[in-house]
Amino acid sequence: MAGDPAPMSESMRPTPEAERLHSELSTVWGNPRGWRGVFSVVNHSTLGLRFMATGLVFFLLGGVLAMLIRTQLALPDQDFMSPEIYAQVTTMHGTVMMFLFAIPMLEGLAIYLIPKMIGARDLVCPRLTAFGYWCYLFGGIILFASLLLEMAPDSGWFMYTPLSSSEFAPGPGSDFWLLGITFVEISALSAGVELTVSILRTRAPGMALHRMPLFAWYILAMSLMIVVGFPPLILGSVLLELERAAGMPFFTVAGGGDPILWQHLFWLFGHPEVYIIFLPAAGIVSTLVPVFAGRPIIGYGWVVSAIVITGFISFGLWVHHMFTVGIPQLAQAFFSAASMLVAVPTAIQVFVWLATLWLGRPRMSLPMLWITGFLVIFVCGGLTGVMLALVPFNWQVHDTHFVVAHMHYVLVGGMFFPLLAGAYYWLPLVTGRMPSERLGRLGFWLTFLGFNLTFLIMHWTGLLGMPRRIYTYDSAMGWDLYNLISSIGGFMMAAGIAAVLVDLVVHGRYGRRAPHNPWGADTLEWSLAMPPPNYNFASLPRVESRHPLWENPTLGDEIARGEHARPGAAHGRRELLGSEALTGRVREVIHLPGNSLLPLFAALCLAVVCVGLLMRIYPLSLVGLAGAGVLLLRWSWENGGHSRAAPLGHNDPEDPPLHSRTADGPGRWTMGVALLADGAFFLALLFGWFYLWTVSPQWQMPDQSPLSLPLLLASGAALTLGTLWLERRVAALRRGHEAGLTLVLSAIAALGGLHVALLVAALLAAGLEPTATAHDATLLVGLAYLLVHGGLAAILIALQACRAGLGLVGARLPFEPGVVALLWRYQLGVFWILSAAIALLPRLTGAGS
Amino acid sequence: MPALLILVLITALAGCSGSHSILDPAGPAARDVAWLWWAMLIGFGLVFLVVVALWLAAFRPRDRAERSPGQPDTYDVERRQGLRWILGGGILLPGVTILVLLAFGVPAGQRLMPLPLPGGETPRVIEVTGHQWWWEVRYPDEAGEVVTANHLVMPAGEPVDFHVTGADVIHAFWVPRLGGKIDMIPGRINRIRLQADRPGVFGAQCAEYCGVQHAHMQLHVEAVPPEDFAAWLAARRDRELELSEPADDQAASRSLFVEQCASCHRVAGLSEGEIGPDLSDIGARATLGAGTLAMEEGAIARWLAEHQHLKPGNRMPAHDHLALEELEALGAWLETLRP
Repeated sequence: MAGDPAPMSESMRPTPEAERLHSELSTVWGNPRGWRGVFSVVNHSTLGLRFMATGLVFFLLGGVLAMLIRTQLALPDQDFMSPEIYAQVTTMHGTVMMFLFAIPMLEGLAIYLIPKMIGARDLVCPRLTAFGYWCYLFGGIILFASLLLEMAPDSGWFMYTPLSSSEFAPGPGSDFWLLGITFVEISALSAGVELTVSILRTRAPGMALHRMPLFAWYILAMSLMIVVGFPPLILGSVLLELERAAGMPFFTVAGGGDPILWQHLFWLFGHPEVYIIFLPAAGIVSTLVPVFAGRPIIGYGWVVSAIVITGFISFGLWVHHMFTVGIPQLAQAFFSAASMLVAVPTAIQVFVWLATLWLGRPRMSLPMLWITGFLVIFVCGGLTGVMLALVPFNWQVHDTHFVVAHMHYVLVGGMFFPLLAGAYYWLPLVTGRMPSERLGRLGFWLTFLGFNLTFLIMHWTGLLGMPRRIYTYDSAMGWDLYNLISSIGGFMMAAGIAAVLVDLVVHGRYGRRAPHNPWGADTLEWSLAMPPPNYNFASLPRVESRHPLWENPTLGDEIARGEHARPGAAHGRRELLGSEALTGRVREVIHLPGNSLLPLFAALCLAVVCVGLLMRIYPLSLVGLAGAGVLLLRWSWENGGHSRAAPLGHNDPEDPPLHSRTADGPGRWTMGVALLADGAFFLALLFGWFYLWTVSPQWQMPDQSPLSLPLLLASGAALTLGTLWLERRVAALRRGHEAGLTLVLSAIAALGGLHVALLVAALLAAGLEPTATAHDATLLVGLAYLLVHGGLAAILIALQACRAGLGLVGARLPFEPGVVALLWRYQLGVFWILSAAIALLPRLTGAGS
Repeated sequence: MPALLILVLITALAGCSGSHSILDPAGPAARDVAWLWWAMLIGFGLVFLVVVALWLAAFRPRDRAERSPGQPDTYDVERRQGLRWILGGGILLPGVTILVLLAFGVPAGQRLMPLPLPGGETPRVIEVTGHQWWWEVRYPDEAGEVVTANHLVMPAGEPVDFHVTGADVIHAFWVPRLGGKIDMIPGRINRIRLQADRPGVFGAQCAEYCGVQHAHMQLHVEAVPPEDFAAWLAARRDRELELSEPADDQAASRSLFVEQCASCHRVAGLSEGEIGPDLSDIGARATLGAGTLAMEEGAIARWLAEHQHLKPGNRMPAHDHLALEELEALGAWLETLRP
C-alpha cells in the first residue's frame, strides 16, 4: 500500500499536451502581475500563504512580548517595565497569540491545503478569501498600532468588565481591542463559512464523506465551530463598545446590567476557541502519523466520531472558566463532569495514533519528531486539564501560574508543535525543496527543552501561590528560583524557534531538490507539481479511495496530462466541479469569479469605520459603512449571468450544468452557513436578554412594555406576506415561469420596505432611554438587529428585481432569488421569536409589576 | 528528559512551604485539595509515563514479517488489535479515571460551601470588600460593627463564613493555605467557608486581575485563639471611646490628619471617610499599601512621601504639597493608632 517515496517517473517530464493545458489554465487562473497583483489576487494558494506569513509576523511580535514578560519576572522586585506597560504587554501577548497568530495561521493552512486535498481548483468564494485576508491584516495592524502608541488594551486578554469599561479603562485601549478583534473575527467567519461550503460541496467526484481525508474532517469541524463560536464574542464586543461609547449599561450593575454577562459571552466563544485551535492541529497529526507509519490510520470512523463529539462537547464547557464566580453547585457539577468527559474523544485520538504506529513501521523523520514533542507536551497539558476540571482543585489554582502553565502546555503543545510538524512536512510541496535534518533537530530540541523548562516549573510556581498577571513579586514569597528558571527556559525556546525559522527559510530557498511525493503520502495534494500551479489540477480526478496516491502513484501524471474531468480552460472561465455533500456525486460545474479589487476596497472601508469609531469621529464611520455597503452590493452584482461572471451563451455545458443555471448551487449553501453564524449571534442576543432579565442583580423592567403590539404585528404581517409570496415566486421560477418576475419582486421589496418602516415606527413610539437602563438598551439592540436584517432583505430583493429586468435573473438563470429567499425566511423566524421574547413575554409574565 | 528529572528533583527538595503555598495547608479545605493534588500527580504521572513509553516503543527497531495487505485475515487481526487499543486507552482509561476523580473530588468541595453546620450553630461572618487596590474588612456584631483594612484577624479552630463583594471591579478573595478562592463581584455577595486549624499568619492575595496594582493587593490574615479574637474585637470597639479624649502632644498631627486625610480615610471616632482604607488600627498592622511595604518605625512617613513610587498608579494622590516634617509627624501619630 504505502510505498517508499514514489520514484520520479519518466512521464513526470511534461508532455506537449500537459504544457498546452498548463499555459491555457495559467492564462485563466493566473495572478495579475505588478502592484495590481498584490491587491487583487483571489487565489487560495497565494492568500493561504499570505495568511501564514502574516500570522508568522504576529507570532514573532507576540513572542517578543513574551520575552519582555519573562525578563520582567526573572527576578523579584524588577522595574524593567512600569506596571502600566506590563499590563499592556501581557494583555497584548495573549490577544496577539490567540487572535492574530493561532487562528489565522491555521485558517491559512486550511485555505492553502483544503482545495488541494479534496481535488478542487480553488475555494468556493475566492473573493471572500481575499476579503478575509484584508480584514485580518487591517484588524491586526489597528490592534498592534495601539501598542506602538502606548495606548494598548490593558485589562487582560479576556477583557473582563467592569475593568475594561470606560470608568476603569478610560483610554482608547479597550476600544482598540474590541474593534480590532471584531475586525479580525470577520476574517475568521469568512474563512469558516467558505471552508465549510468548499469541503461539503466541491470535493472530487466520488469522494464521499467517508473517503474524505481526515484533515478535511478536522477543518470542517473547526470551520463550523468558528461559525457558531465566534458570534457570541462579536455580540459581546458590540455591547461593550456600545456601553463604552454610548453609555448603554449592559454590564453595569447600577443600570440593571451585569458584568458576569460579559464572562458568559466571552467564554461561550472562548472555550470552543481552544478546540478551534486544537482540532486542525490534531488534523495535522492524524495526517502525518499514517504517512510516517506507512499504513492507513487505525479506526478512521473512531477519529471522525471523536472530532464530532469534541465539537459538540466544547460548547458545553464554557462555565469551567468561571468556577470561582459563585454559580450554583449543580451547574458546577454538570460543567465539571462535562469538562472531564472531553478527555474521552481526545484519548480516543491519542490511542488511534498509538495503534497506528504500533501496527505500522514508523520512521522518526523530522516532522515525526515534532509530533512526538506534541504528544509529550499535549498529554501532560490534557492531564492537568482534567485536574482543573475538578472544582475544589480549580478553586485553588484558578488564576495562578498553574493555569498559565496548563494553558501553554495545551496551546503550544497542542497547536504550535503540530504546526511545525506540518510546516516541515508540507515545506517541499510549497517550495519544492527539502528541509535540513541537522539544523531542524537542533531547533526542535532547543524549543522542546526550553518550553518544558519554562512551563513545567511554572506549575510549581502556581502551586506555591503565584497569581497570574502580577508585574512583580516580593523575594520573601519564595518564587525567585522558579521564575528565574522559567525565564532562562523562555529564552532557550526563543533560540530554538529562531533556529527553526532559519532552517525553514534557508532550506525553503536553497535546500536539496525534493523528489516527487517525498514522504510517500497518500493524499491528493502530493499529486501536484511542487510548487503547485495556481489552478492546482489540470484535470479533475475521480477519487474512489481514502488513499488515492497509494492506490495509484502515477495519478499526478494523469492529472497533468489532462486525462481526467474538465481539462483545460478554453471557455475562459475558472471552473471546478460541484459535488453532492454526502456522496461526492457530481452535480454542477461551479464557475468562480476572477481577480478583483472589490474585497480590498470593502475591507478598507471597514477599516475607516474602525478608525472613525476609535477616534470618535462618527460621521467618518458612517461614510465608511456606506462605502462598504455599496462595494459589497457591487460585489454581489458581478455574479451569475453578469458579463464579468458567466453570461448566457451557446457554449454552456449541459451535463453537468453551470451552477448559476441551477436552483441549488453552492451560493445557497454559503448563505445557509452564513445564516448559521447569524443565528448564533441572535441566540447569544436572546441569551443576553433572558440572562439579564433573570439573573442581573438590579434589573429594572417597566410595568408596561414600551413596545407597541399593533405596530409590531403590522410590521410582522408585511414581512410574513412578503416571505410567503417570495417563496411561491421562487418555486414558480424553478418550474420555468418567469413572466412578471420584475414586477413581483419589486412588490415584495416594497413589502420589505413597509416592514422596516413599521419597525422604525415601533422603535420611535417606544421612546426608549437606552442609556438609563439595560432593559431599554437591550430592546434597542434587538430592534436594530431586526432593522438591519429587514433592510438588507428588502434591498437585496430590490436588486433582484433590477437583475430580472436586465435579464440577469430568469428561467435560465433561476439561482439568485432562492438565495435571497433564505435571508427572508431567516428574518421571518428571528422577527417573531424576538418579538415574542421582548414584547409578548414580559406582558404575559407581568414582569416589572 | 534528564533536564526534566533534575527540575523535578530541585522542586521536590525546595519543599512546599511558603506564605501562599497551596501545598502547605493550614485548614481542612486546603488540606483536602493538597491531598487531591498529590494523588492526582501520582496517578496522572503514571498515565503520562505509560502513554509516552508506548509512543516511543512504537519506534523501536522491529523485525517483523512483511505484512501482506489485502489478505482478509491480516486485516481482521489488525482491526481487532486496533479496537483493543481504542477501547482500552480511549474509553476505559479516561472513563475509570473520571469516575475515581469525581468520587473523591466532589466531597472535597463541600467543605468550602457555606452549608448549615451539623450542630445547627451559625459560623461567624466576616465581610470582605475588594477595592482597587486594598481590602476592606468588616465584623458585623450586635455590640457594634468593627471595620479594618488590609489586615484580617480571625478566630482559629472554628469555621468562618466570608461574605465578599467588589466595590469597583471584580477582585477575588484567596487565602491559599486555608482553601479555594471566590470572586468578589460588584453587585453580588459571594460566600465561602474557611477554617484555620491553629493560630498563625497566612498570606492572601487578590487572584482576579483588577488593574495595574493587582500585584500589590495582599491581605495579611492572622488566625488567633477564639478568646484573643474576642478580646481584639472588644479592644477595637473601645478604641472609639478612647480617641474622643484629646492628646495634646499630637494635636497638631491630628488636626493635619483631619484637614488632609479625613475625607477619604476613616479613623473610628475621628473621621468617617470611606474612599480609602480604614486607619483605626494602622499602627498594629503588618504591612502598608496592601502588602507593599513592611510596617516598621518610620514606614508610614516613607509611604506617605513615596507611595506613588512604591505602588505606582494607586488611588491616593501624591503629597507633594506637604513638607517632609509634616509627613513624618503625621506618620508618627498614625503609628500610635492601635487597638
